[in-house]
Amino acid sequence: MEEQNIGGAAGPGARPPEAQPAPAAARRGAALWLKIIAALYVLSLLAAYAVIGKADAARKLKPKDLDISKFAGLGKEKKDAVAVIPLYGAISQGESTRSWERGSQQLARRIKTMAAKKEVKAIVLDINSPGGTVGAVQEIYSAVLKAKAETKKPFIARFGEVSASGGYYVAAACDQIVSHPGTITGSIGVIFSVGNFEGLMKKIGYKSEAIKSGKFKDIGSMTREMTPDERRLLQAMIDDSYEQFVKAVSDGRKMPAEQVKLLADGRIYTGRQAKEAGLVDMLGDLQDAVDKAGELGGLGKNPRVLSDTDPFENLFSLIDTKLSSFGTKSLVDAVDTAPSLEYRWYGR
Amino acid sequence: MNPFTALENFLERPEMLAEEPRPAGLGRTGLLGYFAGTLGLFAALRMFSAVPPGIMSFAVVLLFVLALNYFLASSIHLFMDFTGARGGAGALFLAFGYTDYFLALLVPLTFFAKLEVLNGFLWFCLCFLLVVYARVRLIRGLYPVSANKALLSLCLPYAALGAVGFMAFVYSIAWLVWLVV
Repeated sequence: MEEQNIGGAAGPGARPPEAQPAPAAARRGAALWLKIIAALYVLSLLAAYAVIGKADAARKLKPKDLDISKFAGLGKEKKDAVAVIPLYGAISQGESTRSWERGSQQLARRIKTMAAKKEVKAIVLDINSPGGTVGAVQEIYSAVLKAKAETKKPFIARFGEVSASGGYYVAAACDQIVSHPGTITGSIGVIFSVGNFEGLMKKIGYKSEAIKSGKFKDIGSMTREMTPDERRLLQAMIDDSYEQFVKAVSDGRKMPAEQVKLLADGRIYTGRQAKEAGLVDMLGDLQDAVDKAGELGGLGKNPRVLSDTDPFENLFSLIDTKLSSFGTKSLVDAVDTAPSLEYRWYGR
Repeated sequence: MNPFTALENFLERPEMLAEEPRPAGLGRTGLLGYFAGTLGLFAALRMFSAVPPGIMSFAVVLLFVLALNYFLASSIHLFMDFTGARGGAGALFLAFGYTDYFLALLVPLTFFAKLEVLNGFLWFCLCFLLVVYARVRLIRGLYPVSANKALLSLCLPYAALGAVGFMAFVYSIAWLVWLVV
């Protein structure tokens, strides 16, 4: 009532004298608080980035600070491991753009990468292959030799069900070969096979003609009989590639070339026969191969295994396989009878 | 109007954002909120090594925050418009910028979380809830709706994103199964 009276006395629209200073003080208080909060925020940000900067710098220095391998007796780090690289199926070039493919280029790159890893002390090549084209096989062979020369790390070849011809060629570059007693191996030799559709062509009334710059330009043609000159030329190529294979086995197995030639008439061996012939060092399974690699790498038996599998690459490989089955790729692959020089066993 | 004055005015009367013409400096302060909030979020994420360092990395996070809030503001405005509540999408987007100032809290909280004084995840969730609460209040200030409807409108875009993500997840699993079988 008193307030009403006071208001009435002052007249309509008039404010109480103490009404104006109160919001102004509140605003000044709010402004002060906002400035304090902003200052605290800037300070905390500065502190945060100082800590982050220090942590980043420490992380960069970490390998140097913790390099215990310099101290004698502490050379064996906990994460030291034996790498296992699978080499499955027929060996071919593959497309270099598809990192998930298991072509010779990709395998050679994997061997190089794995051998360069500090924690990898030895490498097991898990081979289950009947071989493949000469160039592709030699690419992997060369990668193994280079990795051995550069890193001095031991390589162990492990044979699965079949490790013949080109599969054996790659294994010859390794320090030791471990095989199952029943593994099919050997088949040391070269093959060049070409089909002849001449009769079929005549039947369906199709004729193919080649205009060539030299008499050997269409060598390996499937539309006519092979000439004696072509046969001689191809035989010379086969002999040369065969000599390369024999040399690779001779160098790898420390065996005279003459002795290798006695074993290298293209025949296949069981793992046990191959051991008796000196083509294999010991009989055993993958674990035995890993143990052997561990021993040679200074890690002892049952070492940690670093598997060469990438989930993303496996996924891409799976997708590629499924998608290609929709297209004509599988059909093209099936009818691809282009002749090539191969270190391959066709018994499978 | 400097950012402090703009912030004071906004705290006093949030509906100023929807006024035509909008008082000078209010829009800029809202955008500054996105920047300051993202800086706090980025610092917190860096302390957990969840994002790479560098200006570009921060720019990517800022762009993501802006894009997400743009999407949120537009979908909320659309929902409000469909249900008959009138307001401004631009004002809503700027209002969300003001709520992002709360993300600055993440910097000291992450400090304490790294010192294992606080549970980092719990405080991150509480900070997020604080932002949500502030957004609900602001939506109510800018649109004549109830608190429940404001909360619903704020949750709808998240629910839609969650549903799309879940659907993509289910389809990718089904696709993988198809690939393998």
